[in-house]
Amino acid sequence: MMAERYRADVLVCTCASCSKRGASEFKEALVEELERRNLASEVRVVETGSRGFCSEGPVVIIQPDGILYRQVDVADVPDVVEETLIKGRVVERLAYQEPSTHEAVPYYDEVPFYGKQMRVVLRNCGMIDPQSIEESIAVGGYQALGKALSMKPKAIIKEITKAGLRGRGGAGFPTGKKWQFAHDAPGDVKYIVANGDEGDPGAFMDRGLMEGDPHSVIEGMIIGAYAIGANKGFVYMRDEYPLAVRNMTLAIEQAREYGLLGKDILGSGFDFDVEIVRGAGAFVCGEETALMASIEGYAGNPRPRPPFPAQSGLWGKPTNINNVKTWANIPVIIDRGADWFSQIGTETSKGTMIFSLVGKVKNSGLVEVPMGITLQDLIYEIGGGGENGSKIKGVQTGGPSGGCIPASMFDLAVDYENLKEAGSIMGSGGMIVMNEDTCMVDVARYFLDFLKDESCGKCTPCREGIRQMLAILNRITSGQGELSDLDTLESLAQAVKSASLCGLGQTAPNPVLSTLRYFRDEYVEHIVDKKCSAGVCTALVRGRCTNACPANVDVPSYVALVAQGRYADALAVHRKKNPFVLACGRVCPAFCENKCRRSELDEPIAIRQIKRYMADHEAGTPWTPEREKKKTEKVAIVGSGPAGLTAALRLAQKGYPVTVFEALPVAGGMMAVGIPDYRLPQDTLKVEIENIKRAGVKIKLKTALGKDFTLDDLLEKDGFSAVILAIGAHKSRELGVPGEDKEGVYHGTQFLCDVALGKPPDLKGKKVVVVGGGDTAIDAARTAWRLEASEVTVVYRRTRADMPAFVEEIEAAEEEGIQFHFLTNPVRVLGNGQVTGIELARQQLGKYDASGRRRPEPIPGSEFTLDVDVLIPAIGQSPDLVCMEGEKGIETGRGSTFVVNDGLGTTREGVFAAGDAATGPATVIQAVAQGNEVAAAVDHYLQTGCVEKVTCEPEYEIVEQCFDMEEYYKAVRPQAVVCTIEERCGNFNEVESTLDETTIQEECKRCIRCDLEWLETMGLLPCDEETEVEEEVLA
Amino acid sequence: MPKLKNLEDLEQLRERVQSEMKARTQANTTITIGMGTCGISAGAREVMHAIISELEAQGIDAHVTTTGCIGMCSKEPLVDIQQGDEARVTYGNVTPAMVPRLLDEHLVQGKVVTDWVVGRVSGQEGA
Repeated sequence: MMAERYRADVLVCTCASCSKRGASEFKEALVEELERRNLASEVRVVETGSRGFCSEGPVVIIQPDGILYRQVDVADVPDVVEETLIKGRVVERLAYQEPSTHEAVPYYDEVPFYGKQMRVVLRNCGMIDPQSIEESIAVGGYQALGKALSMKPKAIIKEITKAGLRGRGGAGFPTGKKWQFAHDAPGDVKYIVANGDEGDPGAFMDRGLMEGDPHSVIEGMIIGAYAIGANKGFVYMRDEYPLAVRNMTLAIEQAREYGLLGKDILGSGFDFDVEIVRGAGAFVCGEETALMASIEGYAGNPRPRPPFPAQSGLWGKPTNINNVKTWANIPVIIDRGADWFSQIGTETSKGTMIFSLVGKVKNSGLVEVPMGITLQDLIYEIGGGGENGSKIKGVQTGGPSGGCIPASMFDLAVDYENLKEAGSIMGSGGMIVMNEDTCMVDVARYFLDFLKDESCGKCTPCREGIRQMLAILNRITSGQGELSDLDTLESLAQAVKSASLCGLGQTAPNPVLSTLRYFRDEYVEHIVDKKCSAGVCTALVRGRCTNACPANVDVPSYVALVAQGRYADALAVHRKKNPFVLACGRVCPAFCENKCRRSELDEPIAIRQIKRYMADHEAGTPWTPEREKKKTEKVAIVGSGPAGLTAALRLAQKGYPVTVFEALPVAGGMMAVGIPDYRLPQDTLKVEIENIKRAGVKIKLKTALGKDFTLDDLLEKDGFSAVILAIGAHKSRELGVPGEDKEGVYHGTQFLCDVALGKPPDLKGKKVVVVGGGDTAIDAARTAWRLEASEVTVVYRRTRADMPAFVEEIEAAEEEGIQFHFLTNPVRVLGNGQVTGIELARQQLGKYDASGRRRPEPIPGSEFTLDVDVLIPAIGQSPDLVCMEGEKGIETGRGSTFVVNDGLGTTREGVFAAGDAATGPATVIQAVAQGNEVAAAVDHYLQTGCVEKVTCEPEYEIVEQCFDMEEYYKAVRPQAVVCTIEERCGNFNEVESTLDETTIQEECKRCIRCDLEWLETMGLLPCDEETEVEEEVLA
Repeated sequence: MPKLKNLEDLEQLRERVQSEMKARTQANTTITIGMGTCGISAGAREVMHAIISELEAQGIDAHVTTTGCIGMCSKEPLVDIQQGDEARVTYGNVTPAMVPRLLDEHLVQGKVVTDWVVGRVSGQEGA
């Protein structure tokens, strides 16, 4: 037979996951198109197993060019044929795109997902047709078998032992040792088993291998059987993997036809055959004694060991069980030698490991990496970091028997020992990435719920222990937990761990123990605050918007009220939690919108715009906050920022006489002197400060702590019963480079403050360089541009994507013509007395830090200089503690913030702290939340004398749904209206304007009212009055 | 299919099936044929078929791939031969009849067929 010769092979992945997404249809269409264009004799289409890049499937690789196309569709067929297969050009839109640059990466070996991988076991997956033994043989299949059959069985076992291969099923027992036991066991009849009973949620390593390269498993088994002296083998796999079963069955049949299985293999005199046993999908059958019971035809229940399978296994005969991945490693070791194999990996863990990388990670799929790779490389480099740019919180490894590892430990080198020490296990290779939207308590609950069903029930600790732990977790996630539950959980976990019969029970508590170890604060939050920050636990999350808002503003209710045109009512709902509606309608980063569920459909509701409209609509109507009966205890508040003024308002509403002391000549704190007028006009802010004054709050301007009064004066002389320090974080951080004390260095906070107070420096025609990447840096740059500086440049040491400033602000700055130097950091400030320039060094990205960002490091010799007239450092802020110099007994901690307890009390009795001064620099809404919290704590203190956390019962409205939601299924989010670049230059007029009434009301109706769904779920939905009336009439 | 009785049988089978997978195995030589509209109308498809069958007949390891118009339409069909890091050699106005000599002299004997060359690009630039 004359071999056919093709100039190109198109490898179409038709694994179970790609097939679901239309890979087979693509393949059919491609074959048809090639025939239509007479290319069928030159170009061949090959169906392969998975190359692992599952999030980008269906994936196609075109050889010999090595072009990788992803997410292909039938409609792409003509372009692939015409452009690539005829003209040899890349179809860029089908190539993988580098997320940061959007550049096409068309070649397989350049795609970063594969860059740090080392495909040893999976070398053929996705590169050959798994249903063709010939293709397997062509790429070296059964070559190792030939070699092994010429070796003595003992020599093979010695080679495997020397290689240091350990079981890939999870426990990591040395494979060579296991084989030795089975080899040494007396008896003529012995068995081997390949364990492909993969049951961990989200794991599919075994499936990928059996689907993509079944012959490597079979070859490994023949070699193993020869070494041990077994003549019969079983592949135990799940019936729920139909393609894996089909490919494995076909492979066994083909091997038999060629005589690679059966009698006298390759003339060696050795007989061996394999049978597939299909399990029904019980998790416990992955445990070896349960698995053997299942093969024998009994219920899959484990039994105590010893005797171990090597002594008495299947039908009482010596049996050797290895995971399918372990078997697939064997041919490679025999072929390339133990020395080659053992140089990969760490001291105790040799070779590579296959992981199924899934969860909240950008690139999910099957990856094979050398042992010892760090979790950072695995998750950030190969995985591409968090899905949609989200922040990764941790990773769950090892499936239901494993545990969670927090992101702060991602420098951990992955091997059996390190994972165990961190409280998790290697397991079979499941790796579930978790981000801020993952609730760790729920994760533990989920795995226990899974294990509750999968426990075979034979032993009491496992059967009952899991049930009891689950009951506690169910209580905690529904807000009914108590702190003592955590101790109960821990002791139950220890009992289940030590007293269970098999591996299932012994490892079942791991998810609970590891989440308790690293994420205890989340448990406490659920129990004490009755809150689930991740927004997962249904009973605790009325709406994800409200849940995401630091001040828990009842978003769905005011949005629904605005939809009905009831602006005053809507505003009243908002003010219960946040009095700064005009301000937040302009400057809030809108944490609510980030979590809006409508964005799963199209885009989030424009909540900030709605807020802005209702506040503007009612701005002319003065609000006099309602007040309780007058109380006698006086409260002093130092600082009139959002935290101080919110606390003042709440305490005044409680009836306390409140005085606010402000060092500056204006009230409002950072809202007045930190946020420039073009974002928040001072007159607008004044309206809201007047409201607070109307509640009876006295504001004393130009009265500074440490200069005009002391805390002793307030508490001992002036008769205040409590003081709240809400001094903000106005001190700008030093650059820490030589020369920064020169004339012309003007710190960001000071600069913005001077401009706000009407004392702007003359920047006209000057060159300004701003250092930093946060909001202050961008505000300073845009302010300098408005003061008609000739050039404004922002220098930032990391990349644009790493900037903490709001994306909208960065984009606006770019539109205004501000220059950016990313990955650049100052080395020294140049000039004699007066700044004339700045020397900068380019940075390269080094190792990842705990925040999941790569740390910048200077590139030697990359220094360059920029001419500068005015240098504005804006690299961070902290509370200015000058005012505290004469004070005693008040401790400060990290970032010069006040040390506070759960009740926001400082280390001095009667003195509290809130806002940026307690938390470090944050946003207006976070400061407002602190204001609410500290007011409740002070009230509690004045009434009871105790300083402790006060949990406010949430107050929610129930606003009727007044329109047909279906009609707004296709409605789109309105665009913000901003003035042109020309209109912005040389003035501080507001850039954004308020949308019109119709647009806003229509926008409100896009809200899908998660709050009503919650009421329904919780059984709290009030009776529909109209229905009741109708029923009465009918009766 | 016949049973593999010994190692030699297995190795023979491997050799035979390997030649069917040339496009997926490493090769030191890449032959690129201009397949823009100009190339195809000048007969590039026929030239390519001739190259593929000649490679097969002579048992030469080489990848055959295509490219679009490179702007030298009057010289189509254009055939590039690149071996390892050596300079890439471009032949112009190639016809199926020229293919046996071209492959024999360039690939087997290692001599550039200077009569038909239209240009050379050094390995660095060519890459």
